[in-house]
Order: sequence, then C-alpha cells, then structure tokens
Amino acid sequence: MKQLKFLVALWKANIQAAMEFRAAFFTQVIFMMINNGVYFIFWVLYFDKFTEVRGWDINAMMLLFGITASAWGIGAFFFGNFISLAEVIVGGRLDYYLSLPRPVLLHVLASKSIGSGMGDLIYGIGSFMLSGYFTPDGTLRFLLGVFAGVCIFIGFLVIVQSLSFWLGNTVALSQFALSALLTFSLYPSALFDATTKLVLLTLIPAALIGTIPTEFVREFSWQSALQMTAGALVFLLLSIYIFKLGLKRYESGSAIQTEV
Amino acid sequence: MKKYFSILTMQVINNLAYPGDFLGRSISIATFIFIFAGLWRTTFAISNTNIINGLTFPNMVWYFMMAETLELGRPRINRTISEQVKNGEVAYILNKPYNFLLYHFSAGLGDGIVRMTLNLIVGSIVAWILAGAPPIPLGWLMAFVTLIGAWILHFCFMALIGLAAFVVEETNSFELIYQKLVFILGGFLFPLDMFPEWLQKISYALPFPYMMYAPARLFVKPDVELFWQMLGGQVIWIAVFVLLVAFVYRRSEKYLTVNGG
Repeated sequence: MKQLKFLVALWKANIQAAMEFRAAFFTQVIFMMINNGVYFIFWVLYFDKFTEVRGWDINAMMLLFGITASAWGIGAFFFGNFISLAEVIVGGRLDYYLSLPRPVLLHVLASKSIGSGMGDLIYGIGSFMLSGYFTPDGTLRFLLGVFAGVCIFIGFLVIVQSLSFWLGNTVALSQFALSALLTFSLYPSALFDATTKLVLLTLIPAALIGTIPTEFVREFSWQSALQMTAGALVFLLLSIYIFKLGLKRYESGSAIQTEV
Repeated sequence: MKKYFSILTMQVINNLAYPGDFLGRSISIATFIFIFAGLWRTTFAISNTNIINGLTFPNMVWYFMMAETLELGRPRINRTISEQVKNGEVAYILNKPYNFLLYHFSAGLGDGIVRMTLNLIVGSIVAWILAGAPPIPLGWLMAFVTLIGAWILHFCFMALIGLAAFVVEETNSFELIYQKLVFILGGFLFPLDMFPEWLQKISYALPFPYMMYAPARLFVKPDVELFWQMLGGQVIWIAVFVLLVAFVYRRSEKYLTVNGG
C-alpha cells in the first residue's frame, strides 16, 4: 500500500511536469498515434491482397497492435526508465536513488515518463475497440493480456540492462534487445518455424507480449492464460532478483548530479 | 572541397572507432531480414505460387535487404541539427569557415558510407543464406547509381526536419511520420508492385519511391526503362528539395537568437 502511494505520487509529479509543456506533450501524443496508424497501413495493404495468413486476418492484426501498443504505452508513460536503465547504471546515476528510503528499482523506473507512451496507449485502446473483439469478456481478457505484456516488456528489458552491472556499457545490446522485442511482438508468430517460435517464447519473449495475448483475447484457453501469467511472473521476479544481485556490484562514480 | 572531404574522412574514422556499435547495427539488419523473410516465405507458401506481381521470394528478400541497408544507413542529421539549435551550439558552427549544410552533408555522408557498407555486407550474407544467390551485376550497378540520388533526397528531408527546430524545437515527431511515409509510400515494407493501382499513382507523384523503391527494385529486377524513369524522377526531386532546403536555411537564420557567450 505504501509503495502504491509512492508510485501514485511519482506519476502525479510526472504528469504535472508534462503539463508544464502541454503543447509539446499533446504534439507527441498525437504524432505517435498518427505514426502507429501510418505503420498499420502496411497490414491493411497486405491483408487486402492476401486476406488471411495461417488464421490471422486484419482484425486479429488490429488486436495484436492494440495489445502491444497499449502494453508498450503503459510501460513508457508510467515506467519510462525501463528503456534507459542501462544508461542510468553506466552513468553512475543510481547514487541518487540509493540515498533514498524507497525501493530502488521501482523508483528508477517510475521517475521518468515518456510522453509519446500516452499516444501508444490511446492508439492501442482504439485499435482494440475497432478490432471486433470489444465485448465485455473480450475487454477483460484484453486487460489481462496488456497487463502481462507490461510485466514482460519491463521484466525482460530490466534483465538485459542489469547486465551493465557485470559487463559495463551494454547500451548497444539493450537497444538491440528493445528493438528485437518490439519488432517481433508486432508480428504473429504463426509466420515463423518451430525453432524461432521457441526463441520468441523464451530468449526474446515477443510472442508472450503479442501473439499469445492476442490468441487469448480471440478465444479463451487455459494454455495461453497459463503461458501469459507464467511469463509475466517469471520475467518480473527474475528481473527484480537480477537487479538486486547486480546492485551489490554497483560502483558509484561520485559524480555530482541533479535529479529533476 | 578539401575541407568537406576532411570532415567526411573524420566521420568515417569516428565510426570505425566503436566496434561494439558496429556489431549492434549488424545484428539489427540480420533480425529485420529474418522477420521479413519469414513473412514472405509463409505468404508465398499459402498462396501456392512462386511469383507474386512479378516478384519471387528471393526477389523480396534481396529487395528488403537493399531497402534496409538504405534505411539503417540514411543520415540522422535532423537530430544533430535539432540538438545544436536547442543547446545553442549552432552559434559556434555558423561562424566557422564552412557552409553549415555542406558540413552536415559531409559528416552525414561519412556516417552513411560506413553504415551502409556494413549493412550491405551483413545483409547480403543473411539474405544469401535465406534466399539464395544475389542479383546479377547490372542490378548492383543500377542500385548503386540510384542509391546516391536516394541518399541525397533523404539528406534534404532530414535537413528540413532538423531546420524546423528553429521554429518548433521538438522535431522527433516529424521524423517518425516521415519515416513511416517512406515505409509505406516509398515501398520499404511493401514494394510498389504489390500496391493497388490507385495507390501506385499517388506514390509515383510523391518523392518517396525515389528514395527507397528505386534502388531496391532496380537491384532485384534491373530494367533500363525503369532505371531512367527513376533517375529522372530523382534529378527533378533533388532540384526541388535542394532549392527548398536553401530557402528554409536562409529563413531559419533569421529566427536564430543568441543570448550571452
């Protein structure tokens, strides 16, 4: 409860900071929605020509985009540092968080907000509503799928970026992991062979963010529910464990910094 | 010219100094080609055909390889210009004995040469494994010639977006939209041959196909008539955009306010 209050206070501060430059914030939101919409034209053209690919049609793709964009949007807007944790570690900027009596990882992640994430979130919800799966039980499954997606996005990227504690600068590796996770999660894993599917469920868990939740919303199955939940739990807990383990090796640069 | 060549050389050396960054980029192009090959292998398999709108599966993979080489190697000078405008560094650059835009052109070209060469090598290896032997030498030649025009057009767009920072400060959103227009109307994700006819007409009336479709399509299916058509289009659009960039640059200088030293 105490941590939740702390999180809400951080989010409130982030929103207030964004509202200081509200024109820039709303521009980012609107442009991100347009950006996602223009990107989706590819699938409109594709399914206009091929109608269906291994059980996937334009509505399923809208749902997949809805889930992935919403999960990414929530992560970016509410836990914005999940994509720049490696830079924080390498730059010795953990000193500030370590000196405060709050959970370090939670504090780092939620102390930054990426404005365009709100654009992704709104686009994702809109895409879901237009996908044809916007029913009461569909919405409930959509929310569960998005929640699992947020956990996996954050968990996986925290794990990769925590390697900075051991390997030094892993910014390039982290950027690759981010780009691979995001790109693969926007494609149905039905397109790939068995080995690639296994990689997408484990090493780069993109299928757990995009394909599995989409299949779960389209039709309830215990198998996809279990895969999503287990994936979310494993990645989240593992990320906390690895970050804590790495924190013991953290060496401060004694740099003078100001956190705003 | 000598000073611009020195800037270009310096940028090439700078790029070669970070092998880790190098590796990261090469993994990126390999991943993207892998995904794209998966999509088209499945599409050709379920369509039960070897050829769709004149293109085969190997054509599609090599097409994407060339398009991705250009996309990952195009200059991101809009970010540099935008940053220089916002932090005031532009004031120090403007009083140097070189042209601001030509400086960025040379630096961008230095970046581009290294990045595109690496992308081409790694991309070709991956495409060869996934789709078989590369296109014939004439395709390489036509692609190389049109790649130059495509790169200059990309530079003009990036410069315009960067110069917009004199007026609006936040320009990342423009880059995102521009990138997606090239992805769709430029034929990056979907060759123009696959478009419905009405959309092909719209695309050809815009500069985007000359920035992406031209080198990639000529690479996999060299065609003399298409080559001259694409080259002609590039020359016209380059003339239009060079004039536009020069005009916007002159106007932007008037917006510049430098406070203190």
